[in-house]
Parts: sequence; structure tokens; C-alpha cells
Amino acid sequence: MQTYTYNKNQELFKKALKLIPTGVYGHLGPAEGCFIPVCSYPFFASRAKGSYFWDVDGNRFIDYMCAYGPNVLGYNDDDVDNAVAEQMKLCNCTTAPSSIMIDFAELLVDTVDMADWAFFAKNGGDVTSFALMVAKAATGRKKTILINGGYHGVAPWTQKLGHPGICQEDVINNIYVDWNNYEQVEKIVKENPNDIACFMATPYHHPVFTDSELPSKDYWQKIRKLCTDYGIVLAIDDVRCGFRLDMKGSDHYFGFKADLMCFCKALGNGYNFSALCGTDALKDAVSSVMYTGSYWLSAIPFAAGIACINKMKKLKAPKLMQDKGKKLTAGLVKIAKSYGFNLKVSGVPSMWYMRITNDDSLTLHQEWISECVRRGAFFANHHNLFINCSLSDDDIKLTHEIAADSFRAVKNNHKEL
Amino acid sequence: MTQEPTKAYINLYAIFRDLEDLCELDEDMKALIKDLDMTIKFIVKNGPKGFLSFKNGKCTFCKNLDKSNITLYFKSPSHFNNMIDGKANPIPLKGLSKISFLKNEFITLTDKLTYYLKPTPSLLENSTYLRINTILTAYTAFFALAQVGNTDPIGKLNAERIPDGIINVSITESNTAIHLIVKDGHLEAKKGLSPNHRASMTFTDIATTNKILTGAIDTYSCIATQKLEMKGYIPMLDNMNKLLGLVSSYLQ
Repeated sequence: MQTYTYNKNQELFKKALKLIPTGVYGHLGPAEGCFIPVCSYPFFASRAKGSYFWDVDGNRFIDYMCAYGPNVLGYNDDDVDNAVAEQMKLCNCTTAPSSIMIDFAELLVDTVDMADWAFFAKNGGDVTSFALMVAKAATGRKKTILINGGYHGVAPWTQKLGHPGICQEDVINNIYVDWNNYEQVEKIVKENPNDIACFMATPYHHPVFTDSELPSKDYWQKIRKLCTDYGIVLAIDDVRCGFRLDMKGSDHYFGFKADLMCFCKALGNGYNFSALCGTDALKDAVSSVMYTGSYWLSAIPFAAGIACINKMKKLKAPKLMQDKGKKLTAGLVKIAKSYGFNLKVSGVPSMWYMRITNDDSLTLHQEWISECVRRGAFFANHHNLFINCSLSDDDIKLTHEIAADSFRAVKNNHKEL
Repeated sequence: MTQEPTKAYINLYAIFRDLEDLCELDEDMKALIKDLDMTIKFIVKNGPKGFLSFKNGKCTFCKNLDKSNITLYFKSPSHFNNMIDGKANPIPLKGLSKISFLKNEFITLTDKLTYYLKPTPSLLENSTYLRINTILTAYTAFFALAQVGNTDPIGKLNAERIPDGIINVSITESNTAIHLIVKDGHLEAKKGLSPNHRASMTFTDIATTNKILTGAIDTYSCIATQKLEMKGYIPMLDNMNKLLGLVSSYLQ
């Protein structure tokens, strides 16, 4: 199988480095994105459609990162883009918001089981931060219980003391517990009866570099009861999982009801906005907090969101993506085994995490992933992957062929295996 | 904000330790210690202790040894740090007759070390100087990193976040290499590479290493341009790099 070259990518990256700190910063860049080795990965996209993006050298990739989640229907989905084009003819960023905002709020409230209202912003981090403010406003308390290794964005409170730019005051009200350890949460709650404003977590644990972990039996039900008993706001960060587990919300999927739910990635198939949904009991608290930003009420994302959610409902998107994920990952595991590799898959199939367990350093996994990327299947080696609805059986078949050829290449480089 | 105890550990375990490499890399210093047979013991109350030995034409630093010719005592980490800055004198507990060594050869060695660790732009234009400066700076930085992780309050937080295992750090263009052993948040730096490493960080060339360590270019750009390669269990390197960021405040 022919492998890709990246001359134009490299050339542009050198230019970017002169103009933009680190060339491409954040998780889309080579450092945070763990491009190992860097030479195996593209830096810049030129176009995208469905399950694919093409880089500036013209290489096509079946994209299993889906822009780290937003691509849920397929890139440049016609239904979403047509809705956007129609809204564009009317208005977008205006002094008075378009009434389409109400249409979207109505749709979201009708879709998400726990939602009595919806509040809009732009990024996942906007709404996780807002969720904490709402919880603090509602309870008059200051502390938050968070999960070790959980991710809720890049605001200072989401980071750690010792990280550049973070001071003690930023994180002093955070208390960390281990995932799936109810007893730890209960102990902390009882030790701080009037201080805990919020318990925030993702619906299941999906940290980077580590296997995903689903909630243990009754975990969420016990947490729910504890929060209710002690007047703690239960906020679920559904930014990543939202609509890839359940159209009604990931809390619904796991059989409990959150007080606040944070949505972002899959809301608008790439048109950027986020939403905080909540229960009636918190509506006044939401209103009391000053929170807004430029573009937050722009119309186009709402048009995209209406088309996206309606299409996801029609397609029964969560099941569709889980079925595709199962087919893809089952094949990958089988192919890995045939070459002597143990590929472990964890998490929900629509956004699974995988790693080769033959060594504990992830080195073999990094080598295999890089070989896949060079053959046109874009995976990340450290992060959960994503399925989108446009992924076809042919794409899965080609991915399996790429995976096999890549395992063969890694095997050839490791005669000791 | 730097801490005096951490600074003392760095001064002894990272900077004085560099004398080992200085005596290998600099021909004049190699000649200076050729016939020496001397061991100095440093004792810092509420701080580090260590032995610097000169024997058989080699300089060796170690934390534990039985005998010394000279024993120097310091009342506190600050006292030791002030001595390094030339603002205080040690308290000699043993080896008063060998004091001339401290005033002559040892001063020559430490002055030369300072010469290499405090570069000027014109000195760095000399390739030999650049090479020695880079190697000594790299060893200083990574041995200091372990001390920051073990003793600095913020450093400890980052050290505790490094998963257990061994990290190899090397410069391809020279045989400079250390491995950092991480166990339950405690760090130990040793020279050479470990075959059992869980993650590795490789600087491809001397010039780039120098620029990264002196902050002239950023790490992220070097990763992107493959002048710095990272492999393996990246959370180890990610948290180690945050420690490396703290080291610079101690080495200014």
C-alpha cells in the first residue's frame, strides 16, 4: 500500500511557525495532538466531505477524529449547509437575535429529556464554566467535586496547580475524586456539608492515554441521590458524548437525571455553538449570572443545529454510530490479533478508545497509528476516536485493509514480536 | 518563587555534579585533576549532602561515601547557596591542611564551570564552547529537574503526576544522555540511557538543544519540526516538561 508524503504541509507549517505560536496550537497541532512521529501526519486540511478530509498535498483521510467530535453527520452535510445558506440570506450576527434561537431552544428542550431550558454560548468550556457559576449562584456555595483525569475545557479552574499560567486561587475550590468511587464522593460530601455547590463529570470516563471506563452499576443513581440529599447541583459535561450515546442526553442513556447538561461538539455539525440545558429549579440562578459573549446569539449555528438535530433524530444517529463503531472496532481487534497484537477497545463504540497493549509505553500503538495515518486512516494515538453518520461500509472495509497493512509494517519493524 | 532548600539541592546535585563532565570535556580541567586524590564532603543542615572525589584523573560525584579528605559544613540551605554565590564561606570540619586545594584547584574548576554555564553570545559562536555549554546545561537542567520535583512545593505536584516508569532523555549529536526514574512521585536522575524506558525525549542536535534549554525557541515548535522527538507514554513527558519549566527559575 502506498504511503503519503507531506511536502506542501511541511512548507506551509514552516510559514505558520513564523506567524502563529507553535504553528498550529492546541489539540489540532502536532504537539498537543501527539503526532508521533510528526512526519507521518498532515498539518493542514484543504477540503472535507462526508467521512473524509483532504490535506494540502491532496492526500485523502478517512477521518476518525471528526474534528475532535463536531463532525457528526459527515463533513459539509447538505441538509445542514442548506439550512445555513437559507439563514445567511436572512441574517446572522445582529443587534437583536434572530427568532431562530427560540426555535432551536424549543427543539433542544423537546429532544433532551432533562432540559426545561437552554442557554447558548460558543464553546464547551463556556458552558462548563457557566454550569459552575450557576451551581454556585443557586447554592451560595463555592466548592466543586471533579473526577481525577476528567476534562472540562481549558479555563483556569479546569487545569492544575503547577501548570503554566495557573495559580492556587484558580483551583482552590476543586476537590478531586476517582472515577466510579462513590464512597470517596460520599465522604467528601459529608465532610463538607454546606460547601459543595456542584458535582461535575462526564457521563462516562474517557481520559486521554487511558482506557475509557463506563459507570459501574448504580454509580450514577447513587451520585444522583447524594446530590439531591445534600442540595448539590449535578452537572454533566456532555460536550464530547452528547448525541453519540443518546439523543435524549447521556444522563438518560445511563438512567439518571442531571440538573445541568453541557452540550457542544455534535450540536451543529461543525457550526460553532454550545448549550447549557437545565431544570426549572435552576432557571432563576441562570438568569442571575452575567454571562455572554460576542457572537453567542448569532443565527447561523441555530439554523445548523435545527437541521443537525432533526437529521440525527431521523437517522437514529446514536444507534447508527454505535453499530458502525462496533463493526469497525471488532474488525480492527481481529486483524490486530492475526498479526500478534492485542488491540484493546474501550468506551462506547461511537467514540471508542483503543490501544495496543503489547507494551506499556504505547510505542507500538504510536507506530501503528502513524502507519495508518500515512495510508489514509486518520486516528489519534492518545485520544478517543469518533464515528460520524456518513461513514460507509466501504470506508470501514478500507480502514480494515489499511489497519492490516499497517500492522504488517509494524511487525516487520519489530522482528522480536 | 524559588525555595532555598531546592536551590541547595540543585547547587549540589546538579551544578557541582557537573564537575564530573567538566573534567571530561575540558582538556585543561582534565589536566588539572590528573594527579589529584581528594574527596570533599558537603553537609548542608536540613539540606543535601554529597561527596566530590578526584581520583585517577576522574571526577566523581556521589551522594553516599565513607571517607573524605575535606568536610565542609553549612548551617542551612541558604548558607550553602550564599557560598555558591560567593557571599559566604563554608565551615570546614575536617581537612584544614587541605584548604589550599579549595583555594586553588577547586576554585579553578568552579570558575571554569561558571564560564561554561554562563555563556555570552560571542562565546556561543565557538562550536567547541557551544558543545560543552550545551552538554553541561542539559545535565544541569535534568539533574535539577529531579531536585525540583522532589523538593519544590509546586514541583512536587507535577512530579506526583508523572506516571511511574523511566524516561530517557538524550541529545543525538553527542553522547549526552540521562534517564529519569520515576516512582510514586519521587524522581532520580542518572547518566546514560535505560533499555527499560517507558518514554523518551530526544534532542536531535546541539544547536537546537541549546536554544530550547535557554528559551530561545519553544519546545512545541521543535516538536513540530522534529528537532525534538517524543515517544512512548506521553503523560510522563508532559508532566516532566512542566517541571522543566520550573527549573529555569532556579538556574537564572
